[in-house]
Amino acid sequence: MKPITLIIAAALAAAPAYAGNSLIPAGRTVQVAKSAMAVTPGSEWNKLGRRPGTNGEIWTLDGDKLNRVTFYGGIAQDTTLFREVDRKNSPLPRFSQTMLLTDVPKLLENSYRVALGSALFTIDQMEPARFGGVDGIRFTYSFVAGNQEVQSKGEARAAIVKGRLYMISYEAPALHFFEKNVAQFRQIADSATF
Amino acid sequence: MIAPLCRRGAAAVALLAGLACGPAMAADRAALPPYSFAYEPQGVDERGMWMMADEDERILRTSSFVIRDEELNAYVRGVLCRTVGEDRCRNVRVYVMRIPQFNATMYANGMMTVWSGLLLRVQNEAELGAVLGHEFGHFEKRHSLNGFKNKRSVSDVLAWLGMVGPNAGLSASLAGYVYSFSRAQETEADLIGIQYLASSAYPSAAAPKVWSRLMAEQDATAAGRKRKVRHSYAAGFFASHPTEAAREAYLSREAAKYADAGDPGAEAYRKGIAKWLPQLLDDQIKLNDFGGSEYLLDQLAASGGSADVTFARAELYSQRGNPRDYVTAAELYREAIAKGCDRPEARRGLGLALLRTQQSDEGKQALRSYLEFRPDAPDGPMIKSLVGN
Ligand SMILES: [Zn+2]
Repeated sequence: MKPITLIIAAALAAAPAYAGNSLIPAGRTVQVAKSAMAVTPGSEWNKLGRRPGTNGEIWTLDGDKLNRVTFYGGIAQDTTLFREVDRKNSPLPRFSQTMLLTDVPKLLENSYRVALGSALFTIDQMEPARFGGVDGIRFTYSFVAGNQEVQSKGEARAAIVKGRLYMISYEAPALHFFEKNVAQFRQIADSATF
Repeated sequence: MIAPLCRRGAAAVALLAGLACGPAMAADRAALPPYSFAYEPQGVDERGMWMMADEDERILRTSSFVIRDEELNAYVRGVLCRTVGEDRCRNVRVYVMRIPQFNATMYANGMMTVWSGLLLRVQNEAELGAVLGHEFGHFEKRHSLNGFKNKRSVSDVLAWLGMVGPNAGLSASLAGYVYSFSRAQETEADLIGIQYLASSAYPSAAAPKVWSRLMAEQDATAAGRKRKVRHSYAAGFFASHPTEAAREAYLSREAAKYADAGDPGAEAYRKGIAKWLPQLLDDQIKLNDFGGSEYLLDQLAASGGSADVTFARAELYSQRGNPRDYVTAAELYREAIAKGCDRPEARRGLGLALLRTQQSDEGKQALRSYLEFRPDAPDGPMIKSLVGN
């Protein structure tokens, strides 16, 4: 197992440094994704300068291909989870207020399928879970993304509050990396307030 | 770098401005020349291309996008072999890929990829043979790479999703960074492709049908997205979409010249892909293309659609999620169940659709029956929370 892990790490960690990254200190409550959502991380994280969309924000520990936490801060009616990749030819699905919590995993799935051009995405599990003090959903998923063909795993927590979707997801290569930091993600998700 | 030699379909570039009708062909019969074996690449350029293709094949062999079902692979290969003949077929390795778009690719070294989206779009073996024969035509004619174009700009969302990196390889081509042949080579491959078909047991008249339905699907996609429909079948036929329209036209003329008969193998085709149909449908309806998906489902329903097709249509409507869509979806789920759809998800879908059309009791009942059918459902706890006690 170790050699493979090292190969993945070598392939993925070589991500270029992006301008505008900043440090999120441990133990301090911060507003995320330009929204009413706030979290209090138990450990230090790096916030990426680039955003996936206007209501999005990404944190990572070792580079966003090795571990990535994405915040979706109040996705509004008829908007996409993140910026369109090819709006004309393959538009992303949109969040709708008629959605139930059970529809949220599929919204993420279909958004990824379109954006990644990958049919290799499955929802593994979903269960009710409190999120930000309200009834929400916790779900896990697997997918293949990226040109390295890395099998990735994801876990997310979501809730719909006043017609807007709030969600935090964690994604990492399934081999070794997912387990390594998933506890740190869960701590962040547990600390969320709206 | 990967270099598929051919790419067509929704993203195809405009082609064939002037409609040249191809080389003068023996109008009577489709006699194929004998095939020469053990071809080795000639010259520096061709050798380089073969090396690249060999490298691509090494990457592709371990790709998670390859469908490894031996039965399906043997079936698709069988259609190719029956189209081009055993001698020619022996030189090709076929890989069926889990990519829900209309495409197949041919590489210089004899590697062919067949995308799962193609399997959903052809209605019989002859149509599949028409496309695979076209691909083989590139190989037989040793078409060399004619430059490439980058079909899609790199966006930072792709970067965010981990698509862009120093090792851009297979999936870069999946995302649309592709090489393409020249127009003349595409036409030549079309013409030799239909010649294979005419000399096989399959009727050559199948070839143009692939293109006319592809155009209709593109129109349906555009209409579903409230975009202008670009094709006009009556007048100005070639105005907007020369690629598919021109192909359809000259292939029709060729087929008329050959005037060969034969069984297109519709029933055999349905059997051949039956095991994979639910997966192909599922991948299609998750593409956020309501119009195109509904068109495909209509086609499948018209050619003797199964409960799987009805189930997929129900899913399509509930995903679009307009209030009326849930009413339609509930009816369709019921119809699928009545037709013998034994997927527990039909009950799940029915229940969730009914909950949203203010039929709470019936909805909960359907959800309970889902949980009975599938006690270990991965979303069991979530569904239980909706049903209550
Ligand atoms: Zn071609």
